[in-house]
Amino acid sequence: MIHTRFASAMAIAAGLLAGSLPLVQTAAAQDVIKIGVITDRVGSGKFYAEPVTRGIELGTKIINEKGGVLGKKIQLIIEDDQNRPDVSAAKARKLVDDGVVAILSNTGSPATQQAQTVSLETKTPHLTPANSADTLTTQLDNPWFFQTGPLASIQLATLMSYTKSRGFKKVAIVRDNSSLSQSFAESFRKGLEGVGIQVALEEVIPQGATSAVANLQKVRAEKVDAILQAGILGPEMLQFFRAYQQLGMKEPILGSYNLSIPAYLTMAKDLMDGVVFVDAYDDTKPEAKVFHDIYLKEYKEEPSSLPAYGWDGIHLIAAAITKAGSLDKEKIRAALASTQNFTGAIGAKGTSWSFRDGKRTGFDPQGAVVRVIKNNQHGPVVHAGQK
Amino acid sequence: MIRTFIWIAAIIAASAIAFVLGGYATDVYRKMLIWIALALSYNFLFGTAGQVAFSHFAFAGVGAYGVVILSTKLGLPFGIAFIGAMALCALIAFIVAVPSTRLEGFYLALATLAFAQLFTVLINEGGDLTGGTGGIAGYSLPSIFGLQLRGPWYTVVLVLLVAGTLLLLNRLDNSSFGRACRAIRENPAVAAAMGINVRRTKVITFTLTSTLAGLAGIAYAYTDNVINPPVFGLENVFLLLFMIIVGGMGRPLGAVVGAILLYLAPFFLEPIVGHGYLVIFGILVVLAILYQPAGLAGLIDRGLGLLRPRSQS
Repeated sequence: MIHTRFASAMAIAAGLLAGSLPLVQTAAAQDVIKIGVITDRVGSGKFYAEPVTRGIELGTKIINEKGGVLGKKIQLIIEDDQNRPDVSAAKARKLVDDGVVAILSNTGSPATQQAQTVSLETKTPHLTPANSADTLTTQLDNPWFFQTGPLASIQLATLMSYTKSRGFKKVAIVRDNSSLSQSFAESFRKGLEGVGIQVALEEVIPQGATSAVANLQKVRAEKVDAILQAGILGPEMLQFFRAYQQLGMKEPILGSYNLSIPAYLTMAKDLMDGVVFVDAYDDTKPEAKVFHDIYLKEYKEEPSSLPAYGWDGIHLIAAAITKAGSLDKEKIRAALASTQNFTGAIGAKGTSWSFRDGKRTGFDPQGAVVRVIKNNQHGPVVHAGQK
Repeated sequence: MIRTFIWIAAIIAASAIAFVLGGYATDVYRKMLIWIALALSYNFLFGTAGQVAFSHFAFAGVGAYGVVILSTKLGLPFGIAFIGAMALCALIAFIVAVPSTRLEGFYLALATLAFAQLFTVLINEGGDLTGGTGGIAGYSLPSIFGLQLRGPWYTVVLVLLVAGTLLLLNRLDNSSFGRACRAIRENPAVAAAMGINVRRTKVITFTLTSTLAGLAGIAYAYTDNVINPPVFGLENVFLLLFMIIVGGMGRPLGAVVGAILLYLAPFFLEPIVGHGYLVIFGILVVLAILYQPAGLAGLIDRGLGLLRPRSQS
C-alpha cells in the first residue's frame, strides 16, 4: 500500500508540475523588445544586485522616453535567482521561453557562470555589466556572453599601483574567515609581494566576533604603513572599523571593491571616513555626471557606482540592437562583439569599453580608480589606472 | 503485480512529462528530481536513523566534483570516472562515519558541519583542480554505449534515479535493517540490549546515504554541465532539513512532498509575494514543528483516513 502511495505521489507530482509550468512557447510578433534581467533579491548578493538592477530600470525608462530602440519600447523581464547558480540557469531558460532577445546577468559570478550554459545552448546574447570574476569568459567558450564589469585582476592591480605610489613598504592584511575574504587576502598578498611590499602580518576576525580590538592591537604593534582590508562579512567589518576608531589608529586603510557597496556606509556610519577603496566610477566624468543628475532627479538620492553598472549595461545592449537593426539574436551578438570605444558612466576619465581581438571582456585595464570615503559618502578619485 | 504495474506506470508518466515540457519547466523539473533524490536519502539518515548530519550536500559535491575531475582533468573514461566518484564518496563517507557516528545529536551535527565546511574550503581553494570559486564548466556527458543522454532522455535518467533511490530505501526501511535504524533512533541503549550492533548500523547508514547523495551529485553535475561551490554549501543543507521537517520525518512520502513543495515554492510564490516567500518558509517550518510533527505526510495520511505512522509499525 505504501509503495502504491509513493508511486501515485510521484505521478501526481509530475502531473502537477506539467500542468502548472508553461509548455514551449511559440515566438509571437513582438510589439516591445523584451530584455531579461537576472538579479538577486533575497540572497547574499542582493546588496549589490539591487542597486545595479535599479540602474538598469532607470536606463530603460530613459531609453523608452527617448523613443525606445528601433521604434519599440524596451520591456524588462526581471527574475530573481536568489544568487543560486542552479536557479540562475533555470531563470535564464524562463527568460528565453518568455522571448527575450538578450539577458543581463546581475547576480553572483558563479550564478552568472551557470546561466551561461543556457545562453550558449539557446544562442542568446548575454551580458554581465558588474561581475568581476576573471574566469567568466575563460571557463566556457561562449561567444554569446560578454563582460563589461572591471575584472578582479584589474582592480587588484589598480589598488597595488596606488599602494606603491604612496610609498608603503610594510602593510598588514585584515580579513574575516569567509572563503571569499580568504581569497581576497591571498590576491592582496600576491599583488603586494609582486610590487615588493612586505606583508608584516595577516589578522583574521572570525565570524561572530564581538570585538576586533585584540586584532588591531597586534596590527598596531607591528607599526605598519597601511592596513589592507580584505573583509567581506558585514558585522565583522563593522567590528574592524569600530576597533580602529576606539584605538585611535591613524594607519591608512585600503579596501577592496567590496567597499563600493553603499550598504557599508550605513552599516559603519561615521567609522569609515578616510578609507580608500577600489571602484570603477569617477563622478567628474561627463557621462557619469549625466547619469548622476538623472538618478538624483528620479530617486532623490546620491547614486553609488553600482546603479551606473546597470545603466551602462542596458545602454550597451540598446546600442547593439540599434546597430544590429533587427531583433535577430545573431545580429545582436555580432553587434555586441564589434563594440569599440563605448564610453559609459563606468570607468576612469578617458577610458572606454572595447571587445578587441575576439575578447569578450571589454573593461579598459586603466579604467579602475581608487576613491576615498568622505562624510559617509563615496568621495573623490585619488588614483586612476595601473600606472 | 498491481504494485509493479503502478510503479512502471508512474515512472513512465514521470518520464513522459520530459518530452512535453519547455526549456524552463524542464530545468525546474530536473532540479526538483535531484532535490527529491537528495531528500529521500537524507530522510533515511536523519528521519529514519536519527543521525543529525550536515554533510549531505558536501557528499553530493564529492560525487559531482569527483566525476568531473576524474573524467575531464584526469581524462578517465566516463564509466571509470563514475565508479571512481561513487567509490570516493563511499570511502570518504566511511572515514567520516567511523569517528562521527560515535557521537550523538548535537556533537554529530557539529562534526559533520566541520566536514562540510572543510569541503567548501577545499573546493574554493582547489586551484585549477576544482576551478576555485568559479568551479568547472565546459564539459558534457559523453555518449554511453553510443547513446547520447541529452534533452528529455537525461530527464528520464533523473526519474530513474529517484525511482531507484526510493525503491532501495523503501526496501531497506521495511527490512530488519530499517527496524534496527529506528530502534537506534528511539533508544540506542535498548537497541544494543536487543542485540543490534549500534555502531555498525550507524556507519552503514551514514556511508550508504552519503553515497546516494554522491550519486545525486553526479546527476546534478551533468544537468547544466557546470559545478561550483555555492551549490554544495551549507545553505542548501538547511533547506534539505526543512524539506524533511515540513514533509514528515522518517517518511519517504514526506521527503518527496517536502522536496517538491519547498523547491517549487519560491518559483510560484515569488511572482505573487516577492521575496516575502522566505517568511512563508519560516512559518511553514514553525507550524510543522508545533502542530504537525508528522509533517505533510501525516496530513496526507489523515486525509486518506490511513492513520498508520511509520514509527509505530
